[in-house]
Amino acid sequence: MRQVIFNLNGAQPKDYDVVLVRCLSHSQALYAARILQEKGVRTVNSYETIATCGDKILTTLALIERRVPTPRTIIAFGRESALAAVEEMGYPVVLKPPVGSWGRLMGKLNDREAAEALMEHKEALDKSQDVPFYIQDYIHKPGRDIRTLVVGDETVYAVYRRSAHWITNTARGGHTSSLPVTPEIDRLSRAAARAVGGDIVAVDILEDPDGSLLVNEVNHTPEFHGAMQATETNIASRMVDYILKIAS
Amino acid sequence: MNRRGGERDGEVKIGVLCSRVRVEEKLLFAALEERGVDYDRIDAQALAFDLGSNGLSQYDAVLVRCLSHSQAYYLTRWLDGLGVPTVSSHQAIAVCGDKLLTSAALQKAGVPIPRTMVAFTPETALEAIEEIGYPAVLKPLHGSWGRLLARVSDRYAAEAILEHKTTLGGYQHSIFYIQEYVEKPGRDIRSFVVGDETVAAIYRNSTHWITNTARGGEASNCPITPEIDRISRAAAQAVGGGAVAIDIFEAPDGRLLVSEVNHTPEFRNSIAPTGVDIPGKIIDYVLEVAAMKTGR
Repeated sequence: MRQVIFNLNGAQPKDYDVVLVRCLSHSQALYAARILQEKGVRTVNSYETIATCGDKILTTLALIERRVPTPRTIIAFGRESALAAVEEMGYPVVLKPPVGSWGRLMGKLNDREAAEALMEHKEALDKSQDVPFYIQDYIHKPGRDIRTLVVGDETVYAVYRRSAHWITNTARGGHTSSLPVTPEIDRLSRAAARAVGGDIVAVDILEDPDGSLLVNEVNHTPEFHGAMQATETNIASRMVDYILKIAS
Repeated sequence: MNRRGGERDGEVKIGVLCSRVRVEEKLLFAALEERGVDYDRIDAQALAFDLGSNGLSQYDAVLVRCLSHSQAYYLTRWLDGLGVPTVSSHQAIAVCGDKLLTSAALQKAGVPIPRTMVAFTPETALEAIEEIGYPAVLKPLHGSWGRLLARVSDRYAAEAILEHKTTLGGYQHSIFYIQEYVEKPGRDIRSFVVGDETVAAIYRNSTHWITNTARGGEASNCPITPEIDRISRAAAQAVGGGAVAIDIFEAPDGRLLVSEVNHTPEFRNSIAPTGVDIPGKIIDYVLEVAAMKTGR
């Protein structure tokens, strides 16, 4: 990606049958997939999947529209309407940037004072003032969440990510251990993957205290080195097999 | 939400999504009232939207006049899922709000565009600029009113702009969108397409290379030639249609090139020179879209 220049004019030869997108930068992944798609090159993941997973608002809408259970979510475009939405939802709530990963800039709010302060900081950060507030019901999960990997139409593995911190991301120090793929986890994972456009995605699942499972997020370029050790599965080779199947 | 206009049974119901009310929105409200349409003004800034609710599904069509691109983008996506048609459509808003998506859509539909390249690092961006040749234009992928456009005439200017973009950082400054500079005759053309009709066109005259009327460009009537009509409608269709404005350059070799498409055009300065009731045309189109939904 650091060496490519894309020419948008005229048809260009198709160099590859399939391109696997593994850019760290979401915007690079998104635009590269789009340009390749316009040239007739199939990408994994597809532009649609990258666009949907890279934006929490689009993910939530895709899940809701396909009736995949997900925490209640409200969006607002002003600080006052956002604060009113938080109060209506009831504390604690989670505030997330619509675009972003590794658990960055997320906030768990337990009271109005925290909500006011965080919203003021968010507005100060966003100089263009054009990023919506994404407000989500906080799920009291049991010190862990579940991450599954879906490749094509198969749930390849499931792991618990445990952490004393409410953000259970392994990139933030969460501990990973294997877990059997139950029929319910399998069904939910595949439904979530289909809702966002499919191919290769990681699905984050929260266990509600009432026993139900909720899909929290879907990741389009999952990190899997931790899960590879915990599950003793050769994940990279599963992904490559899937890509070869598409290419042929 | 303020309820205005007549409320007759069996009539369509229109929502107008906006935040700040400019001259354009006042003219659109007046056109709605003239036609006795039942409509609500929906202040996107003042509301919160529960994504699992049926929020705005009581409307037969929603006219989107948000100044904020993200309001227009996300709310039309939500309404799309609820089956409420919007003007412009979510697709048009998504494409027009992003210059790379616009170029790709125009190119795919065979609409002529200036030579355009995309790079992801300052080093490859500089290569692309040198390949296109000076002067070249750098544009942010998102944004309007001609903000942060840069015309670079030599390598030193290019290097300085690239360094500033890198320092600015953030999502959109890490993608470099580079276009050939079209030597235009002190003006460009802006045409308005509503539905499948080119309703009006103006010349925007300016001594500055950025001819935006919001930046002091002056408007005069531009006769809609068959060629302008064809290219305008093709461009509108390529991005997904609706009520849009097309920016067209006249290249020195006589070709017309489409530069950008705007999904929520300002039109206050285009009514007097063209004598066309642009807000009336937009409202008639919104009513048509609503009638298609209700089957009336």
